[in-house]
Amino acid sequence: MPKKTTQYSRRRFLKSAVSAAGAAVVAPTIIPGSAMGLNGAVPPSERIVVGGIGIGRRGGYDLGCFLQQNDVQFVAVADIKQKRRGEVKKIVDDHHGNENCDTYRDFREVLDRTDIDAVLIATGPNWHATAAMTAAKAGKDMYCEKPVTKNISQSLILADTMRRTSRVFQAGTQRRNLPHFAFACELARTGKLGKLTKVYAHPAGMQAMMSGWLVPEEQPDKDVVDWDMYLGPAAWRPFNKKLLDGFNFEKGGGFVGAFRGGGVLEWGSHCVDLCQWAVDDCLPPVEYNARKDGELMARYENGTQLIFREKGWIPLGSCPVRFEGETGWVEAGDSGKMVLSSPELLAGREVEEIGGYPATFHVRDFLDCVKTRRQPKGNAQAACNAHIACHAANIALLLDRQVKFDNATNTFTDDAAANRLRSEALREPWRL
Amino acid sequence: MYITPKITCSAVLLAALVLTFTPSAHAVDDANAAAEKEKELIAVLRSDAPTAEKAIACKGLAIHGSSNAVPDLARLLKNPQLSSWARIALEVIPGEASDDALRKAADSLNGLLLVGTINSIGVREDPEAIDLLKRKLYDTDAEVASAAAVAMGHIGNDAATKALRAGLAAVPAKVRSAVAEGCILCAERLHKKGDTVVAAEIYDDVRNADVPKQRILEATRGAILARNQNGIPLLLELFQTNDKAMFQLALGTVREYPGNTVDPFLPEAVTRATPERAVLIIQAMADRPKYVDLPAVLKAAEQGPKQVRLSAIDALRRVGDGSCLSTLLEIAVGADPELAQAAKVTLADLPGQNVSREVVGLLPTSKGKTHMLLLQLVGQRRINAVEEVEKALAHRDKSVRSAALIALGETVSLKKLDVLISQVLAPRNSADATVARQALKTASVRMPDREGCAAKLASALQRSSPGSKTALLEILSDVGGKKALQTLATAAKSKDPQLQDDASRLLGKWNDLDVAPVLLDLAKTAPAEKYKIRALRGYIGVARKFAMPEQQRVEMCQNAFNVATRTDEQKLLLDVLKLHASPQGLRLATKAMGTRALKPEATQAALAIAQKLGGKGVNMKQLLSGAGLNNVKLEIIKAEYGAGAAQKDVTAVLRKRASNLPLITLASTSYNTSFGGDPAPGVIKKLRIQYRINGKAGESSFAENALIVLPMPQ
Repeated sequence: MPKKTTQYSRRRFLKSAVSAAGAAVVAPTIIPGSAMGLNGAVPPSERIVVGGIGIGRRGGYDLGCFLQQNDVQFVAVADIKQKRRGEVKKIVDDHHGNENCDTYRDFREVLDRTDIDAVLIATGPNWHATAAMTAAKAGKDMYCEKPVTKNISQSLILADTMRRTSRVFQAGTQRRNLPHFAFACELARTGKLGKLTKVYAHPAGMQAMMSGWLVPEEQPDKDVVDWDMYLGPAAWRPFNKKLLDGFNFEKGGGFVGAFRGGGVLEWGSHCVDLCQWAVDDCLPPVEYNARKDGELMARYENGTQLIFREKGWIPLGSCPVRFEGETGWVEAGDSGKMVLSSPELLAGREVEEIGGYPATFHVRDFLDCVKTRRQPKGNAQAACNAHIACHAANIALLLDRQVKFDNATNTFTDDAAANRLRSEALREPWRL
Repeated sequence: MYITPKITCSAVLLAALVLTFTPSAHAVDDANAAAEKEKELIAVLRSDAPTAEKAIACKGLAIHGSSNAVPDLARLLKNPQLSSWARIALEVIPGEASDDALRKAADSLNGLLLVGTINSIGVREDPEAIDLLKRKLYDTDAEVASAAAVAMGHIGNDAATKALRAGLAAVPAKVRSAVAEGCILCAERLHKKGDTVVAAEIYDDVRNADVPKQRILEATRGAILARNQNGIPLLLELFQTNDKAMFQLALGTVREYPGNTVDPFLPEAVTRATPERAVLIIQAMADRPKYVDLPAVLKAAEQGPKQVRLSAIDALRRVGDGSCLSTLLEIAVGADPELAQAAKVTLADLPGQNVSREVVGLLPTSKGKTHMLLLQLVGQRRINAVEEVEKALAHRDKSVRSAALIALGETVSLKKLDVLISQVLAPRNSADATVARQALKTASVRMPDREGCAAKLASALQRSSPGSKTALLEILSDVGGKKALQTLATAAKSKDPQLQDDASRLLGKWNDLDVAPVLLDLAKTAPAEKYKIRALRGYIGVARKFAMPEQQRVEMCQNAFNVATRTDEQKLLLDVLKLHASPQGLRLATKAMGTRALKPEATQAALAIAQKLGGKGVNMKQLLSGAGLNNVKLEIIKAEYGAGAAQKDVTAVLRKRASNLPLITLASTSYNTSFGGDPAPGVIKKLRIQYRINGKAGESSFAENALIVLPMPQ
């Protein structure tokens, strides 16, 4: 991982702001490597045996992050696509120098293996929550790509299931393990910005649509593409290649676009997640308003506002977030840079500038937590809260009006319409 | 809403269906409208509409449906393609009608459809379904029985709990895991309600049953937590077991333990554990910062196996306080480099209000490595101790002086900035110059009052040596602001060639729009030609990279054209205009077409701008005529429109529309309309054209509906 140590001045981005950069700060670790037995060679007893579920484009990247870790032994992959099964097996076997990576069409066969400790879930978003909970009940820890859930109900059940099964769950919200985002959140969380007034998230699209039922096409052989398994928990529809390769298939509770968009969930599961961290992972906002002038404003119980906005960002790369308090503010983005209202906020800290949102540190955090049984940064409860905020915002967008959410009952207050959108039945035989 | 019977892409219909749920639908006044919508959707279900339409109607009824829709939805439960769609609505429609329908269906269905229906009963937590589910618990289909078990777990009333506990021993092995899951769900519910005794009994039932290991783990966790203080012996037992999964469970469970009852027992668990396990138990202890036994962690940091000490030192970073300072200092200057490094990291962050005060208190009497470490800590912890640190600047050891300078860089206030300025202007020891400059920079860029800071640096510039002037100018450049800019501008026009060079270089890299007039002035009046060019290039760079109103950008480009004497800079300006297309910029580029040396680049720029503007407000024919492109020989070789494999050959259409201009005007602004249909609905498409102009081959692609201006082949 390249480490930038460029020192640059406050006027780099804004006249009144300071950019933070500094000398190398080692990647976040929980305990020293030697204490974990990670000095180079790792004895087999200390290795974490991992299987993959649905390793496509994003999953391939994640897989690379896993394979970089000395204490990972990747042994199996499940995919509904025959071609991908072969491709992933080749990558894994080439890496390990053997031919031991087993391939499966049905991911439950991976979960049945008692030698596997953890799974990487990188299917489409349709499957994330269901596969994660099935894995937890099978006794596996998991790194699960985002968006993690399709609706509010799934978010709540996910957190409950991970707690009840005592499994380690890491959502693919890798920005939680990048120094500048972590520092920005820390400033907000620890009161360095004064009383927090506003947190801003970039949703990158606020369209609310639904996945569809496209023109039937000839269904491939089950061994080539297992369409039934692809649909999984989603309501039945005939085979269509566009849905098969649709990145956003069934993302966001069945009312997000089949081809593009993703409501506030696609990026919100990152940006809102960071905002949630900034507010100390408290319960999600209690009020969500209709979009006005390109912004959607939500409000936490304590009055802090969560604002989804498309414009007005300092150019710091994708996935920007901004936290404003009564005495200061900070903004950060995927360039690895951040801008502060005052250089004093740095307080002597050196914050490493890591752009390009790599997941390596997040994967490492997960693997450490598999060993320590600590809660990782993107744990299930944190993911649950962030996803509820996104789903509720999507519902406000869909209804085009204010909705109020009661965190005690996990329902919308006096709002039958919104409450009906909290959950969606799963296709048989799947359940949570 | 009426859904047309034609099936094309139902995604659109779905979107429309949901988006009809407008603000008015929330109001009671619109109840009638909702009822009307429900009627329309029910009518679709009753019609011979295609399956797709019925599926989408089900989704609509999840939003608009009432008990009136239930019978029609229930009829679909036996339809393998529509059952899941129907349950989407049935699961959320309030009232008993849905419950009744699901129960009734469960009596007649079997296989997967029955499993789905039972799952929905579980989601609705229907207490009336217990008798049905009790029967299904012993269904010969293990999937059905398992679904029934979990559904009863979700319902979780007395009857369900009783049936599940009985089922643990009675059901076939294949179903036992689900029964255990149901039992655990019931126990959780009881635990939450405060009935911990019965909850613990249920957990024990599962622990003692012949069920998969994961269920045992879940039950063990529950059994410990439900018993609270009385669960501690079982927890401690897990710390001793050889079973890795159970040990890991203990590590997770201890972090969940309510109150402080468990904490006093954990040091003993550390002592009895192997070093590998002690490392992990200490981390778990530190994850309970409110109740952690700090002396025990400190003791583990002081002595014992190295890996345990490392873990404890790391833990102190989160849970330590002033009482740990002396121990950590001792380790940090100790012989073991790994332990020392870990201690240093912890010391930099060691919590506790008194820690910083104690660090300063130790400075006057400390010596050697400890003295150096304390100086480093002053900087890392940003402790205000300038007077004490300043004393170290006279130390005979360079590394101590460096540590002091770095600490001052991190801590001095504006009032005390002169301490560092004087070290830069006249270091007590020349070997300290580089560190002093870096420290001054570190201090300067973090000053909240940057104008005040720049004033001090500017004042220092007056009395500095030539070597220091460059350093001060660079720091001023990093500080930024009006005073810094003004100082650099003056330096750039001074009589000193070194200052001219330094200042013009730094101004050229200045990242603020305010620098524009300074650079323009320098481009005209700098003391040497090379600095004029440098300033002009900097000015063009500002026009290129900063956000500003387009009118302002074009004015800047015009200013630059007025000053530029070389085609190199003029071409750079055309690039700026191309990048930020605007009608004003187009006029400027068109004007530049009149300059012979610039004509090819200016023409390309003008065409590119016109293309970006989509022809709006542009007389394309006049523009092309001005460029001498009004009589070209255009041949369309091949043209395709679409996305991926879905391509449509539009060569004939384009050939028909081609003229003697490198511009093709279609019949409609919509490509789909002009080309007779959408070759890839819902997907972003492109138009790709292979062509020849005056015999030279070219190829270009256009975003959907873009103006077709063909670039002149080179």
